[in-house]
Amino acid sequence: MLRSLTGKFESPQLATLRSISLFSQIATGELRTIRGLLHHRTYLKDEVIFDEGEEGQAIYFILSGKVLICRQGKPVEGVIAELGVGQCFGEMALLDNAPRMAQVRATENCSLDVLFREDFLRLIQTHSHIASKLSLELARMMGERLRQTVNSYVL
Amino acid sequence: MNANASRIGPVTWCGIIGSTCLLIFLFQKILWLVVPFLLALLLYYLLAPLSNKLVLSGLSSNLAATLLSGAFLLVVIGALLLIYPRVIANAGEWQSTVMRYLDGGARVVEALLFEMQQNFAFLRKGNLSVELREKTLGYAEQFSDKHLGGAIFTVVAWLPSLLLAPIIAYFLLKDGGTLRKFIAETVPNAYFEKTLYLLHALDKTARQYFVGMFKLTVIDAVFLVFGLWILGVPSPLTLGLIAAVLGWVPYIGPIIGCVLAVMVAATDFPGEISLVYAVVGLFGLLRVLDDFVFVPFVIGKNMSIHPLLTLLMFFVGEAIAGVAGLMLVIPILGIVMVVGETLEIIFRDTRLRARHAYARQLHKRAANADLEMRQH
Repeated sequence: MLRSLTGKFESPQLATLRSISLFSQIATGELRTIRGLLHHRTYLKDEVIFDEGEEGQAIYFILSGKVLICRQGKPVEGVIAELGVGQCFGEMALLDNAPRMAQVRATENCSLDVLFREDFLRLIQTHSHIASKLSLELARMMGERLRQTVNSYVL
Repeated sequence: MNANASRIGPVTWCGIIGSTCLLIFLFQKILWLVVPFLLALLLYYLLAPLSNKLVLSGLSSNLAATLLSGAFLLVVIGALLLIYPRVIANAGEWQSTVMRYLDGGARVVEALLFEMQQNFAFLRKGNLSVELREKTLGYAEQFSDKHLGGAIFTVVAWLPSLLLAPIIAYFLLKDGGTLRKFIAETVPNAYFEKTLYLLHALDKTARQYFVGMFKLTVIDAVFLVFGLWILGVPSPLTLGLIAAVLGWVPYIGPIIGCVLAVMVAATDFPGEISLVYAVVGLFGLLRVLDDFVFVPFVIGKNMSIHPLLTLLMFFVGEAIAGVAGLMLVIPILGIVMVVGETLEIIFRDTRLRARHAYARQLHKRAANADLEMRQH
């Protein structure tokens, strides 16, 4: 009983993770496993998080602040998107070794959690149930982004 | 690693070789800690897949680490309790056994030398066979006084240190992830992803080496046990296991293993020189199979370092730290190569350095923000 109570209890850190769309369907216990794999980073406003063309190794989750996705060195005319709390970026790095497709800069002081690709791959081996949920959410998110891109071209 | 090695520049190579030498020198000073740590790493890489399976079946990683390390410790203690009474009971026979096998070995060498002396006149003058016989007998007579006590004392002195291995392995299994996160946290943002990759590459290199070496030892042991059994050499299991474990000491280890088997064969089958040749041939065949089949297949071509560099580093390692240097030099070189390559990539990447410098400026500005406002 104690285990089931503690299993469902969400600490503030877990509650923050829960706010990330990718983790919305993950159970509390599973979220704890994921938290064990995440690296926490903080970036100041205007700091570059990664560059276009850089080898991608990880996916980033925004816990606070905002980031700008843009063409390399063109934060004004080359804006692709602005992301805020609960969103993630750099997801292509989980799927392949391809270079980053755009530059990402912090537009506010921000706090991010990072999941390294190899940790995600290990998660697939050891916790396939969690990994399948994550992969499904990831596919949904990428589908949504593709739909938005197509719509923007049509309009 | 060969593909990576081609990307490493001459300055980095000098740094890698220098760092490897320095590390071997330092490790030699704290061998009592380095040896259990290396054993713990081996244990960690062997137990990690089991730990993953236990975690997959629903156990927490802490419980999985406790169960596995505890089970291993129990097995070790059980084996020691089982072996200890037998060792004590047979201790009296040790000296006579050693003397018998040394004598048997010396007789083979003596016979070979005698044969050579018959054919080569310059060897006859030196009278080597008689000299060898006298030295061997002298060594055997003084064995218990000079060497047996020292050997037992060394084993007893190393036991507590070796028992550290399962404890270190437990913490590596339990807190390996936390340790990696802790290291990554100390790295500036600009180098963060590269550092994560470096840690992963280090982990992969070490796993490849340690697990590969363990598999190689098992393959060598099976090959030798069967080979010696087919040849009819007594105690093939003990001899094969000892020779396979001795293989961890490059060059010298296989030779000592071969000499042991030759001594046993020559003593228990006196006069059968063809059996001695067959045992030497078996060890020679194993060497060829190891170099051309087993090592590339088991440890992988990625782990292979250029043969000339390997040979050079063995000499350097031996010169710095003796047998310990011989054993440590290749895993240390492999790991230092990964670190060297990654550091070269980082330091050559002007963009990463510029980003780091810019981030430092931003941090400085943020720290001075209220002070600058007051000045204005």
